[in-house]
Amino acid sequence: MIKTISKTQKFMMNCVLVQLFIFTYLNIKILFVVGKGHGGTR
Amino acid sequence: MAKIVVLGAGVSGHTAVSFLNKTLGKDHEVIMVSPNSNYQWIPSNIWLGVGRMKRKHLVFPLAPIYKKAKIKHILAKAISFHPEGDSQEEKGYILVEYVSGDNKGKQEKVSYDFLVNGTGPKLNFEATPGLIPETNNLVSVCTYTHAEHAWHELDKLIQRMKKGEHVKILVGSGHALATCQGAAFEYILNIDHELRRYKVRDKATITWISNEYELGDFGVDGGVFNVFGEQLTSKELGEMVFNDRDIKWIKRAGVYKIENNTAFYETLDGVEASESFDFGMLIPSFSGHGFKAFDKNGNEITEKLFAPNGFMKVDADYTKRPYEEWTVQDWPETYQNPSYANIFAPGIAFAPPHAISKPRKSVNGRAIFPAPPRTGMPSGISAKVVADNITDMVKNNTMTASHKGSMGNMGAACVASSGYGLFRGTGISMTMTPIVPDYKKYPDTGGRELKNTIGSYGLAGHWLKLALHYMFIYKAKLKPFWWLIPE
Repeated sequence: MIKTISKTQKFMMNCVLVQLFIFTYLNIKILFVVGKGHGGTR
Repeated sequence: MAKIVVLGAGVSGHTAVSFLNKTLGKDHEVIMVSPNSNYQWIPSNIWLGVGRMKRKHLVFPLAPIYKKAKIKHILAKAISFHPEGDSQEEKGYILVEYVSGDNKGKQEKVSYDFLVNGTGPKLNFEATPGLIPETNNLVSVCTYTHAEHAWHELDKLIQRMKKGEHVKILVGSGHALATCQGAAFEYILNIDHELRRYKVRDKATITWISNEYELGDFGVDGGVFNVFGEQLTSKELGEMVFNDRDIKWIKRAGVYKIENNTAFYETLDGVEASESFDFGMLIPSFSGHGFKAFDKNGNEITEKLFAPNGFMKVDADYTKRPYEEWTVQDWPETYQNPSYANIFAPGIAFAPPHAISKPRKSVNGRAIFPAPPRTGMPSGISAKVVADNITDMVKNNTMTASHKGSMGNMGAACVASSGYGLFRGTGISMTMTPIVPDYKKYPDTGGRELKNTIGSYGLAGHWLKLALHYMFIYKAKLKPFWWLIPE
């Protein structure tokens, strides 16, 4: 069954305050993912 | 003094030449060979293709930047590779042909101590008969000139819709083995957004067509993400987004021909079908550029440098094995050619050992699955790895590559955003670690480390895309402290 986006979720998706927090979280997360570095596997 | 030649001024080539110049430029010679006089930030072609950005926002000339950084730029295209030199030239060299100026058409040998092949892909439109932009109602967003044409055609379509005409729009994969589904996914969301903005969305049937087994595969075997506080598979996320925007989808489809504004395709079930359209943007398959290589005596040695698909062989394990036996260890770590230790191929130019998504064939034998993506972040990171290794080799007089960056041990962020401006947009942001799923290390979470594999859907993702646009253009222009911005 296909999931749907509820009205509350849509509100949250466009709520500037909520999204500011998410934006900050995403930036930190991406910095962590990138900053964690990379290396070999063998 | 070492001479380092970089081929290609795209994401990987420009990243490599910038770092090499920063670390070696004062005492060594760093040369860019590219037929393009401009740099383009390709991810923003999507905004160009819906008329929300102009060419000047994402394209800029390289000449002033390279002049300031003292990087020699040869405006020429590579013709052939000569890694052992020849009877007149001791060093390895590239035969190049100038593409502009007084020397246009003239061929010249450009010798090197180290070579970085960052030539990216050839957009292989010819692999699908009829898939030529500007014919058959087709457009492309693969280059900025293509994207400008795409907006011109979309604008005309919107005018027709305003007059009451109902149209069909088809976006997705234009070949059974195409990659870059992410770009097409982002473009279809932007078309939907723009049609709503122009209040003509009810006049269009928008359809997604893809060689993916499930929506959201994106050539990386999909994933599991934490979205809205719950775990969603990429399939569920893709279906949720398309359903919300009333976008229809055709999956497991290998497009093999475009004729009379109609895409002909076969599905994995062996069903032959077609889909007509008034506006189509179908991503072509990618291939290498078909370069040839020669040894010191002029004998052809193309197979030593290049895989059959034209991409350059690197330190990957190219042994043919079934999907169940694939491991992350197959993927390259240093992007160094196994035959010539002074040649590297970061970004899309390297030949992947195999796909990432499970390979599948239709009942009629047609292979239908996405090729592995290497665009964006992996291109930049692999180019930095190559630059670091060459720097060490030059400074320490060694031929051992100690810096490593396998896609099986590398995280990535991906953003697909629709809309434009500060408050009118929605973006899907994803991080995944690693890019190539490691099913042995993370057997219960789709091969990925779940705490670093997240998804978000909302305005924040759109802001992120905007921020990345300005940040990476700042970096590409080599403005102060550009090297602090991660790849």
